[in-house]
Amino acid sequence: MRVVLKDLVKRFANSDRAAVNNINLLIEEGELAVLLGPSGCGKTTTLRMIAGLEQPDSGRIAIAERDITNLAPKDRGVAMVFQNFSMYPTMNVYDNIAFPLHAVKMKRGEIDRTVREMARLVNIDHLLGRSVRQVSGGEAQRVALARAMVRRPQVFLMDEPLSNLDAKLRVQLRTEIKRLHQDTGATFIFVTHDQEEAMTLGDKIIVMNNGDIQQAGTPHEVFFAPRNAFVANFVGTPSMNMLTGAVSQDESGGIRLQLPGFDLSLPERFSRGLENMTGNRVIWGIRPEAIKLAAEPGENCAPGEVELVEALGSRDLIFVRVAEQLFGVIVDALESVAVGDNCHLHFAAAQMHLFDAESERSLLNNLPSAVPPSQWGGG
Amino acid sequence: MRVPRSERILAYVILIVMAILVLVPVLAGSVTAFKPQIIWVSSPPTWIFEPTLENFEFVFFTRKGWLFLRNSLIISIGSVVIALILGVPAAYAFARFRFRSSKALMQWLISLRMIPPIVVGLPFYAMFLYLERGLGVGLRDTFPGLIITYQTFLLPLVIWMMRGYFAELPAAMEESAMVEGYTRLGALWRVVLPVVWPGIVATAILNFIFAWNEFFLALILAGNRTSTLPMSAGTYIVRTRVEWGNLFSVNLIIMVPVIVLTIILRRQLVKGLTFGILE
Repeated sequence: MRVVLKDLVKRFANSDRAAVNNINLLIEEGELAVLLGPSGCGKTTTLRMIAGLEQPDSGRIAIAERDITNLAPKDRGVAMVFQNFSMYPTMNVYDNIAFPLHAVKMKRGEIDRTVREMARLVNIDHLLGRSVRQVSGGEAQRVALARAMVRRPQVFLMDEPLSNLDAKLRVQLRTEIKRLHQDTGATFIFVTHDQEEAMTLGDKIIVMNNGDIQQAGTPHEVFFAPRNAFVANFVGTPSMNMLTGAVSQDESGGIRLQLPGFDLSLPERFSRGLENMTGNRVIWGIRPEAIKLAAEPGENCAPGEVELVEALGSRDLIFVRVAEQLFGVIVDALESVAVGDNCHLHFAAAQMHLFDAESERSLLNNLPSAVPPSQWGGG
Repeated sequence: MRVPRSERILAYVILIVMAILVLVPVLAGSVTAFKPQIIWVSSPPTWIFEPTLENFEFVFFTRKGWLFLRNSLIISIGSVVIALILGVPAAYAFARFRFRSSKALMQWLISLRMIPPIVVGLPFYAMFLYLERGLGVGLRDTFPGLIITYQTFLLPLVIWMMRGYFAELPAAMEESAMVEGYTRLGALWRVVLPVVWPGIVATAILNFIFAWNEFFLALILAGNRTSTLPMSAGTYIVRTRVEWGNLFSVNLIIMVPVIVLTIILRRQLVKGLTFGILE
């Protein structure tokens, strides 16, 4: 089912800033959309408004072209998995999964069949008789998943369901959620502050900050074409190197960027965005993966010294000082870089990002818009 | 945490002294309850005697103690039931919703417990008198009248204790049930109450003890028809003498349920009593 949020606003009494500040969003039927952002960015509030657990101050919410803004949570046809709650403590696993079915007065035999089927889907059929004290955190979250699926909702809402699990379980359950999404074909809206989780799960990632949507797009779009400095900085680990510099022009008319300690020639694709910006300050960004170590100086290179080496496994994250700035650089672990080595950093022109220093908006030409305004209708 | 030996010894000394101070009169009195009238006040006190139940028989049958026991049970249980019916939902609301002056209301509720009973009792007496004369609604010396009055000290306690139990539960518990097809009341009934059930029992018992021990409000507002056990104990202290054996046998009848309930519930009681402090 398609989910549409239109001009949604939510303020809380104890804060003068809107928790959710007039957001518009379209989530297509069957999509797995991830609301991503730091804590307090409004992602959970947005999800809770879709669930009906918070009432928006203004704006509309529609699921499958039906306006549900004023419906009770139980009448919205959604299911939800919470971060800090997974099982009703007075019921065993079986009764937990059956619980939503009692609300619709389903027949006993049918309940039994459905409960067993759902338990099998999330691999907890051997736990059905257990009490809440006898299941682990990961198993409890599977119970919550089964309970969410049992009424076969068209929209699944997940509020950081994996945050309280240890790293290995998190990855494992993440895969299962992805599989459930494929098997059920339902619309999933998943909230997380973990950008790796967002990347691996999402068909669409909606990056939020301060109650606003910063960017909505595919994982590739938000990673490779961030619309502003916030998205560029928030998405990707290790995070993007960012420096403030000034735009200048060389004798042949090419655009250059003066950065502390070195300068660069900017590729053609920035020319339109930088028109009449000579002398202006901009934020230049480049990901650690887009920097190569070079033996000799050359165009778009800067000399530096290795200050720190962090092993990531097959690759190392090294920190190289260039003038005042430390650059994070990803190198192959076999390259055997050592602290104190002198090297030249080569910045790949194709993977440079530029943002206006004031508005922090990307200066790239023709950025794809993830949600064309024309589609905001409906509801 | 390791407590130094010297401090531990000091603590025990203080506790033993306090226990002696509290328990000796209770024990001496309780022994007197089983003494025949002739040695109630013998000097020096008689410690070895053939115990008798004649004092109990006297207060229970001759002086209608069974009636006072019945009245005390009706009033205490009735008050607790009403306090729970009103207080549990109120506590839930205080735990889950932020509304205008909800904090101030909570403070006001706890301040009600600091008011001496006479400040409550006399206005209630006046109101009951007014209702009786003006509207013909008789509440003086009735069970409903006393049960209503007892809410002034039971309801705040129920709300404070139960709010603590509710606040400990994640809100997501009801929210999950609400998304899964239940109304908030349905979620409260099917999911939350089963979890806080032990808390409700603890609250009920503590409140029962308070209502059961209550003396002053009953003295002002009860009469012949609704006299409670503590009031009946007072009748054994007359101007010229004290009927010690009878008085202590009534006291024992009052004390035994309290002691039994306290022993059963001592862990929850400490928790319930410290809620306000930890807040």
